[in-house]
Amino acid sequence: MSATRLRRLSAAILLSAVLALGAVALSACGSDGDAASPSASPTAGPITVTDDSGVEVTLDEPAMRIVSMAPANTEIAYAIGAGDKMVAGTSYDDYPEEATALPKIGDFANPSVEKIASFQPDLVLAAGGLQDKLRTKLEQLGMKVYVVDPTTYDGVIATIENVGKLAGADEGAAAVTDEMTAAQMDVRALVGDLAAATTFLEIYSEPLMTAGTGTFIDDMITIAGGENIGASAGSGFPNFSTEVLVQEDPAVYIADSGSMSKPGDIDKRPGFSELTAVKDGKVFVIDDNLIARPGPRLAEGLRELAGMIHPEAATEQ
Amino acid sequence: MTRLARTGTWPGIILAAGILAGCLVLALAFGPVSLSLGRLWELVMAGPVEGDLENAIFWQIRMPRVLVASLVGAALAVAGVVLQDLFLNPLTDPYVTGVSSGAALGATIGIVLHLSNLPWTTVLAIVGGLGTLVLVWMAARRRGRIDIFVLLLAGVTISYLASAVVTVLMIRASEDMYAIVYWLMGSFSGRGWPDVRIALVAIPFMAVPLFFTREMDILLQGEKRALELGVEVERTKRLLLVTAGVLTALAVSVSGIIGFVGLVVPHIVRLLVGPGHRSLLPVSLLVGASMMVVADLLSRTVISPNEIPVGVVTTFVGAPLFVYLLRRGRRV
Repeated sequence: MSATRLRRLSAAILLSAVLALGAVALSACGSDGDAASPSASPTAGPITVTDDSGVEVTLDEPAMRIVSMAPANTEIAYAIGAGDKMVAGTSYDDYPEEATALPKIGDFANPSVEKIASFQPDLVLAAGGLQDKLRTKLEQLGMKVYVVDPTTYDGVIATIENVGKLAGADEGAAAVTDEMTAAQMDVRALVGDLAAATTFLEIYSEPLMTAGTGTFIDDMITIAGGENIGASAGSGFPNFSTEVLVQEDPAVYIADSGSMSKPGDIDKRPGFSELTAVKDGKVFVIDDNLIARPGPRLAEGLRELAGMIHPEAATEQ
Repeated sequence: MTRLARTGTWPGIILAAGILAGCLVLALAFGPVSLSLGRLWELVMAGPVEGDLENAIFWQIRMPRVLVASLVGAALAVAGVVLQDLFLNPLTDPYVTGVSSGAALGATIGIVLHLSNLPWTTVLAIVGGLGTLVLVWMAARRRGRIDIFVLLLAGVTISYLASAVVTVLMIRASEDMYAIVYWLMGSFSGRGWPDVRIALVAIPFMAVPLFFTREMDILLQGEKRALELGVEVERTKRLLLVTAGVLTALAVSVSGIIGFVGLVVPHIVRLLVGPGHRSLLPVSLLVGASMMVVADLLSRTVISPNEIPVGVVTTFVGAPLFVYLLRRGRRV
């Protein structure tokens, strides 16, 4: 179970609710507030940062007991060297290996507030969407909540810096974000002069679903030299008409591994045999943990995306 | 109101067939990629050709989708007529027999086990639907007779039970929750020729009730009266129930659970051609197909490139219409 799948589900439920009300406008996946602004002095005194929901989070001293409510947040905590401060994670935490041994607060969709409180955390790292709604409840119980819900690649970097500050792990965070920035610079240099290749990213196969605007996946496709076809379908994770997909005729077709698709299956779907991506053999499956979790491994995902979208550039190096 | 009924059966059927033909042409021509009538004709004549995107969209995506929609609509409408008149209950739709929930359970198992969509998820849905039919049947059989009242209650009960199991599976396999929720909502998105082949199996079953129109007319006056008039009540009931169950299972297995067509279409058609089954059945079949084809057309064009689940469209159209019909004085 990946964090995004649930976010997608909540987007889908939201979508159907909106439709049921007769509205045609879509509003999937809430906040745009990715302006996770780094604040000034990380040393003595209270630490204040702004999270991805635009809420200021203040800690008097660096957090010592951290609960993560999403696998991506757990990855961030371990990557920046705050793993020893983790007191609980979710049942879907699978990376790094140590995280699997943590006590669990439940799964991503049904975190138990009582259970979270029982660990007496001084910082709770939540995800956006459904979990954002638990903020009030958790704060009433005296916990500090930071919502990780970035909508761009740089937003993920900013969030990791912020979590570093809150956990008193600035140096570890800097090492992680340096690598992420380096990956971005490498990729940009690699694809810099090349024409953007039309790319379709399949989040889910049945029904066909893609990543639209306002997602860090869309941002990463653009950085990797792709033109995201899904961006025409609106924000969040919209479903997408097969007819339009065939008409748009992507040059590159990438399925995330959570879509349950195999390259061999994709070629055989109705109408797909005519796609340029299929004819050119540019159909790929990418590990969804590398592109769908807003955490440190996005750097690796970004490099992989670039290799899929512009293999010609990648092999030159 | 029953003018058509008095002037005979054929004018109504021919009119309804004309409407369906019009809807099919519309649905094949319009979509995210719209085709002129001339181009449509060219594509139909050319047949499936490789190396042409528009041809691929038409023959591999749109045509099978429209055909599945029309077959499912027709099957649900016929099942709706049969069950409403057997149960003598205007609120009956094809899903009260529990067949759809059983099919949903079968499909959910297929999704959770990550069997590919075709054929296994579809086959499991059919098995689930027919299995439920057998269970309900056994519950309702008493001393060689089928008690319609018990059948209805057993159907509703088993349908709750199956839904509860689906919910448990959904929670246990939450990574598949999205696929299950979407399956339950019903859709024709991504349907191809293999789905058409399954839906085509429904055609002979749609024809069965047409041979029992006289018996069904008499049964409307109650089983006792039918017995007095020499109708083989038990045999007719059994045959029609199984037919309706199979039709529902086939429809649900290729499209998910699409509401309101099986409930509303028989009522609309009854208002137009009267309760006589010689007109009611074939006209309902054609109108059901038309309504589903149009609903699917709306579902894929209104907010393209997104799609609205087709069940949402049929409910939007069906719900107000049904309330209106109910308020028009209880003629339904």
